[in-house]
Amino acid sequence: MNAPFDLILREHAMNEKSEKKKKVKTLTKERVDLQKLSRIMSGGLSLAGQSAVRTDARRKVTGTQLYGADYAPDGFLHGKILRSPHPHALIKSINSDKARALPGVVAVLTAKDIPGRNGFGAIIPDQPVICEDKVRFVGDGVALVAAETEKAAQEALSLIEVDYEPLPAVFDPREALKKDAPKIHEKGNLLSYNKLRKGDLDKGFVQAEVVLERTYQVPFLDHAYLEPDICMAVPQQDGVMLVEGPMQAPFTVRRNINAVLGVPINRVRVRQIPMGGGFGGKEDSPIDLGCRAAVLAYRTGRPVRMSLEREEVVLQTCKRHPMIMKVKIGAKKNGSLVAFHGVIYDEQGAYASLGPIIPPAGGSHIHSMIMMAGPYEIPNVHVDAYLVYTNHPYGGAMRGFGAPQVHIAHEQIIDELAVQLGMSPLDIRRKNGFRKGSATATGQVLDQSVGLLDSLEACAKRFDWDRKYKNRGYVDEQRTKRRGLGVGMGWYRTSIGTGGDACGANVHVHEDGSVLLFTGITEMGQGSYTVLPQICAEELGVCLEDVRYVTPDTDIVPEAGPTVGSRSTTLMGNAIILAARQVKKSILEAASEILAVPADRLEARDRNIFDREAPGRGITFKEAAAKCMATGKRLIGQGWWAPPTPSLDPETGQGNPYFVYTYATHMAEVIVDVETGEVAITDYAAAFDVGKAINPRALEGQIEGGVAMGMGYALMEKIVTEAGYIQNLSLRNYLIPTALDVPGIKSVIIEVENKYGPYGAKGIGEMPNIPATPAILNAISDACGGRIRTLPADSESVFRAIQEAGGPPDK
Amino acid sequence: MSYQFKDFHWAKDIRINNYLMPRTLDEALGFLEEYQGKAQVVAGGTDVISQLRHRDLEVETLVDITRLPDMDGIRQDGDMVTLGACVTHAQTALSPLVREKAAILAKGAGSLGSPQIRNIATVAGNLVSGHPAADTSIPLLALNASVLIASKEGQRVVPLTEFFFDKGRTAIDCRKEILIQIKFPAMQSNQGCCHLRLSKRRSLTIAILVLAAVVKVDPQKKIIQEAAIALGPVAPTPFRAVETEALLAGAPVCRETIERASKCAYAEAKPIDSAVWGSAEYKGEMVKVFVKRGLENALIEAGAFID
Amino acid sequence: MKKVGLSFNVNGKEVDLEIHPNTMLVDLLRDTLRLTGTKEGCREGECGACTVLLDGLAVNSCLIPALKAQGKSVVTIEGLAEADGQLDSLQQYFMTEGAVQCGFCTPGMILNAKSLLERIPDPDEQEIRHAISGVLCRCTGYQKIVDAIKAARNDKGQTPQG
Repeated sequence: MNAPFDLILREHAMNEKSEKKKKVKTLTKERVDLQKLSRIMSGGLSLAGQSAVRTDARRKVTGTQLYGADYAPDGFLHGKILRSPHPHALIKSINSDKARALPGVVAVLTAKDIPGRNGFGAIIPDQPVICEDKVRFVGDGVALVAAETEKAAQEALSLIEVDYEPLPAVFDPREALKKDAPKIHEKGNLLSYNKLRKGDLDKGFVQAEVVLERTYQVPFLDHAYLEPDICMAVPQQDGVMLVEGPMQAPFTVRRNINAVLGVPINRVRVRQIPMGGGFGGKEDSPIDLGCRAAVLAYRTGRPVRMSLEREEVVLQTCKRHPMIMKVKIGAKKNGSLVAFHGVIYDEQGAYASLGPIIPPAGGSHIHSMIMMAGPYEIPNVHVDAYLVYTNHPYGGAMRGFGAPQVHIAHEQIIDELAVQLGMSPLDIRRKNGFRKGSATATGQVLDQSVGLLDSLEACAKRFDWDRKYKNRGYVDEQRTKRRGLGVGMGWYRTSIGTGGDACGANVHVHEDGSVLLFTGITEMGQGSYTVLPQICAEELGVCLEDVRYVTPDTDIVPEAGPTVGSRSTTLMGNAIILAARQVKKSILEAASEILAVPADRLEARDRNIFDREAPGRGITFKEAAAKCMATGKRLIGQGWWAPPTPSLDPETGQGNPYFVYTYATHMAEVIVDVETGEVAITDYAAAFDVGKAINPRALEGQIEGGVAMGMGYALMEKIVTEAGYIQNLSLRNYLIPTALDVPGIKSVIIEVENKYGPYGAKGIGEMPNIPATPAILNAISDACGGRIRTLPADSESVFRAIQEAGGPPDK
Repeated sequence: MSYQFKDFHWAKDIRINNYLMPRTLDEALGFLEEYQGKAQVVAGGTDVISQLRHRDLEVETLVDITRLPDMDGIRQDGDMVTLGACVTHAQTALSPLVREKAAILAKGAGSLGSPQIRNIATVAGNLVSGHPAADTSIPLLALNASVLIASKEGQRVVPLTEFFFDKGRTAIDCRKEILIQIKFPAMQSNQGCCHLRLSKRRSLTIAILVLAAVVKVDPQKKIIQEAAIALGPVAPTPFRAVETEALLAGAPVCRETIERASKCAYAEAKPIDSAVWGSAEYKGEMVKVFVKRGLENALIEAGAFID
Repeated sequence: MKKVGLSFNVNGKEVDLEIHPNTMLVDLLRDTLRLTGTKEGCREGECGACTVLLDGLAVNSCLIPALKAQGKSVVTIEGLAEADGQLDSLQQYFMTEGAVQCGFCTPGMILNAKSLLERIPDPDEQEIRHAISGVLCRCTGYQKIVDAIKAARNDKGQTPQG
């Protein structure tokens, strides 16, 4: 068990030669309380901070966990979507007579059959449920079919005749901004222009002694979650529409479906089924499928099941935003950064999804703008950010939400700057990186929980940077392979920066001491079904197995917001603590009456309520709960928590958009085959300041998985399009890392307490993949001299970069 | 590029009416005749099933030959190694005989797909796919293998150098004939080989470039008597760099020979651009690198010393 | 389409069915036998979520026509635990080592690992990674999966912690 420390370093060593078990080491900077935590100790934690086994692990290892597709399809109609074969076209006419006549076909719907609003979207409902007058990307939905069998539905699709008039299309955001570009939406192709203005940029560049200008380009990425999307819509006997499936945001799904059906919100019920991965993609893909399934169910009066084949998932669902980023950075010879100008062409694709702004600082585009200059103190920063429609699949939320792209730019240019200045890549970061009291590019003063530089030092130590730095260069006699090192530093918000970023939790305690926990936070693998009950059990003073987490169902749980933005543990954790405290008050009151001890002397821990001053005297939690029940004391707790109000001036981009950040440093060692451009990652370390690790093992899992995802971005992932058509729709040709590609990862957890978080915690879900990509890109450049500014750094790109650099370094 | 309905809409099912599992070769050939071109041979099925689902292949009946007797053996008779038609990639990769007598085949077979695919996909099926970078086609081509094809008319032997016609098209008509055996000479002590593969990740992926090289040296190990260099995908079919091989025949073992050979192979190979897998230019450059490295390794394995 | 008889062994039990010849093994297991532990992720053998053991060999059931299993034995994830509920040591260590996140790849991972440990009782790290190289995982980065397989390898018959 772990005592609360001011600063803890926890290390995980993976050594393939020996069978060392995990060690918990403590490295202290300040006073450390090394008291062994006993059960009857006051003030310490018993569950939060424990690597509890996941509550759903047993189901998952025995194959009894049910995912959406595992529910029997009996009694359901099969729903399918007819898709546009054109990236941009007018729909002149649709004839579905032949399809309707096919035996087994129950309904063929077109735009006129939408009962309410023919539009959905996570932020702006600009995507038609069924396209009426035009299509805007290949795969856009043109008709819906419901049939008794999948086969009949598929055949019906092929019998629908659509007459299209192709329109000129545009596939580059810079082209789409031109005056004569084809107009994709009525209001034009510029969805949003946002700017950040801090200090005096011109003066800054005058002061600069070294100036670098670079352009970076990153492609569409696919989430590649293993579980394809599926949705089931079941009309209820009272006219309510029940929609269930894997999804990260039941409330967002609900508020789209009710508008599409033309009914009040309380006539739609949405229920989450645990997901086989989400990563942001299942934030809005279930809105799409959910609205379509609901409309089919509404019109047929029967349950409808819509499942997507893998290729359809890639065709239809949102992607990571591609970007073209221009960066101009100025520094003094001693390494101080003085000026930064960033221009972002953020390609939104055909529909708005999660790109546009939700004031003051929500939406991926404004987030990219805010993060563009990196975790560095720079007095003069300008960013101009354009969010542009094109006739491509659309950008949505994908782990990091606009931050990974800009990290690829600032971490690489900082590295190039370091080379130019003759500084080590660590020193330039030490000089300029955020510390407590630093001001960000939005002018936010970071007054608490800033472990960025701690993460740099911890990572360097774990990675053995100084020693490895001396071993770079050729590793073979034939001089074909070179070793290099790279570092990537990063920061990421907790919370989504919207005006309404709040959430609620309900806790019900029963007279036998068992507990129900109601929140709308969903499970996609990240462990919310374990971590949130851990927090609840900790606060109440019961054991983890006493808390049952109720499946998020919009009829049953309070408004939660989406499971995104690394907000769940922190925001919902706080709401849970508040809810639990309401009940705990009753519990302690009842115990106080039984023990004849004032309530403020009582402590609840591990199913016991005891007198702090006489720990041997106590009763069980169950006894106290029974007493509450018998005396009418409230056993229901409700918590509501909203973060400190976010702010961001729309003209200057100045303000406090997110209330706390998580920080990380990654380091990679690579070996590059300089003749072929192949890259092997031979060692990797990542250190994170997470405030407090509620479940350290689960947190490590997030780190390791995130690194693999960041590695994919660096080395192999790219949605390839040609004239608007995706060329790699399958997992055969959209490549994510396998077990033979990902190295062993050494992770270090640092805790610099977040005063606004449960037990000091802040978010972790998205931080892990963000610095991984630039750390690897920087290592490649260090190894072979070639700089990759257009991703991915596959072997051909690396080969060309080496050629452009005039060949590999000599030594 | 023209797109069809099946490029935007995907089915779950495969459309076949019969799945037959004959017990003898005669029964199998009988089925093929009975269905008059509407039935096709399948062994492991990993290619065929996927093609059926994507509606790239349409056939009414599948004839599964994996229950035929004597089809899963790996044997050496005299100088020749034979593989039965139902030998899987996994069996080939793990076979001590193949590893010793045809290391490039073991390596090639071991690099296809994934363990699960290798457990069921057959080497014969890989040949029959006619893919220019098929992982066993390249080494077998370098090993001068030949295949035995059975039909109602009898059996015929086709050397692999005459087996591949075009991408996806080979000398065998799987609706009439069955490939029943693969045969190649075992490697001798005066030979060396090398297999190299370039791919975008380390498992579950087709190759950007594969090379299989076999060299034979004289007893003094100073002259290259013979070389076989197979490459893919640098042509519509698995490719033997015959001009390069001609250059190498009788050439001295030295750096200059290797340099000349790599440049010659670069000139002979005609890779094409692929939006997903890479440019023709890059593949061409990699041909140079692979031929260089392949020859070096093969010569060293044959016992030669390169100065 | 005429139905055809299929007799085979699933998780130790003999099964006799009449099926359409175009039925794939993954669908037979999931839809007919309601053994939904085997997952479908891509339907073309690229993700490994559908892995089952066919006569002890790990295969992608999405590419196997069900009739190919005629007279053979199939083991799915549901067949690993004992009848009394005691977990296989791989299942136990996947739980305790944190190798499970979303869980979708978990059955495929465990079955490939099971097949490995039965062939090679003492695999090194490279052999372990090789054995699971045909199952994609987007959540874990593979590290704790490798750790769990190592733990099961090292266990060597000690009683799992239940």
